[in-house]
Amino acid sequence: MAADQLSTTFAALADPTRRTILARLATGERSVSELAAPFEMSMPAVSKHLRVLERAGLIVRGRDAQWRPCRLNASPLKQVADWTERYRHIWEARFDRLDTYLQQMKAKEKAHARKQRRK
Amino acid sequence: MPVSSVANSRTFKVTTPSDTDIQLTRLFDAPRHLVYEALTKPEHVRRWWGILDDKHSVPVCEIDLRVGGAWRFVGEGPEGRMPAFYGVYREIVPRERLVNTEFFELFPDAGSVVTTVLTEEGGKTRMTVTATYPSKDVRDMVLKTGMEHGAATSYDRLEEVAAGLA
Repeated sequence: MAADQLSTTFAALADPTRRTILARLATGERSVSELAAPFEMSMPAVSKHLRVLERAGLIVRGRDAQWRPCRLNASPLKQVADWTERYRHIWEARFDRLDTYLQQMKAKEKAHARKQRRK
Repeated sequence: MPVSSVANSRTFKVTTPSDTDIQLTRLFDAPRHLVYEALTKPEHVRRWWGILDDKHSVPVCEIDLRVGGAWRFVGEGPEGRMPAFYGVYREIVPRERLVNTEFFELFPDAGSVVTTVLTEEGGKTRMTVTATYPSKDVRDMVLKTGMEHGAATSYDRLEEVAAGLA
């Protein structure tokens, strides 16, 4: 996936209304009016959010002109999850080194305490 | 050399508690005073912070541990010196809590405020690091940078494997 596509995905996810829409679509496809129902928002405003999600590839809309159900497309979400996963790897490695080093510090402190007692 | 415990490694978690935060948490099998020392004394930080294999080191590791005092870390590898990470300490509660700013030389406009909290947990120490970025875009960029570093490391490994095959 191109970097600019990822930015589009992140921008689409930045809005709480759009995240709520995605969460509702996770349970199955919905019409625009069904999606609009819980929000105090005009249909055009909801349609605008849907267009942003569609451009980001996060939803797919049916072809039928009358009833264009929205469906979740999870693959860009997986890309976002993969990013977090890479970041996680760097810190995981760093913390593992810290943990290993702390064991050396602990051993040193113990040895030092023994020496002190002998004095 | 003692190997880090698998059990502790499993306690590591990365979360994004808000649009502008990244939070890391992990349990360490060491008393809190040692973890604090490992975080705040250059001679210790040098031993774990960088990429740290035999090709990499942390030649610059300066810590002026007082409110308003600066810190600066620079890693070095075969490709030369890397851009610095640096910032200023804002809050210091010895053994418990550190708040500092963190900037990366390549993106000086995209600094974060990092809060590190140490808590005792049955003889072990839990470290919780929360980095707060100025915007969601910046936070996401940091997650992306993580990917690029990760990829670079993987390529290095690939190179080693390839060299072994030759």
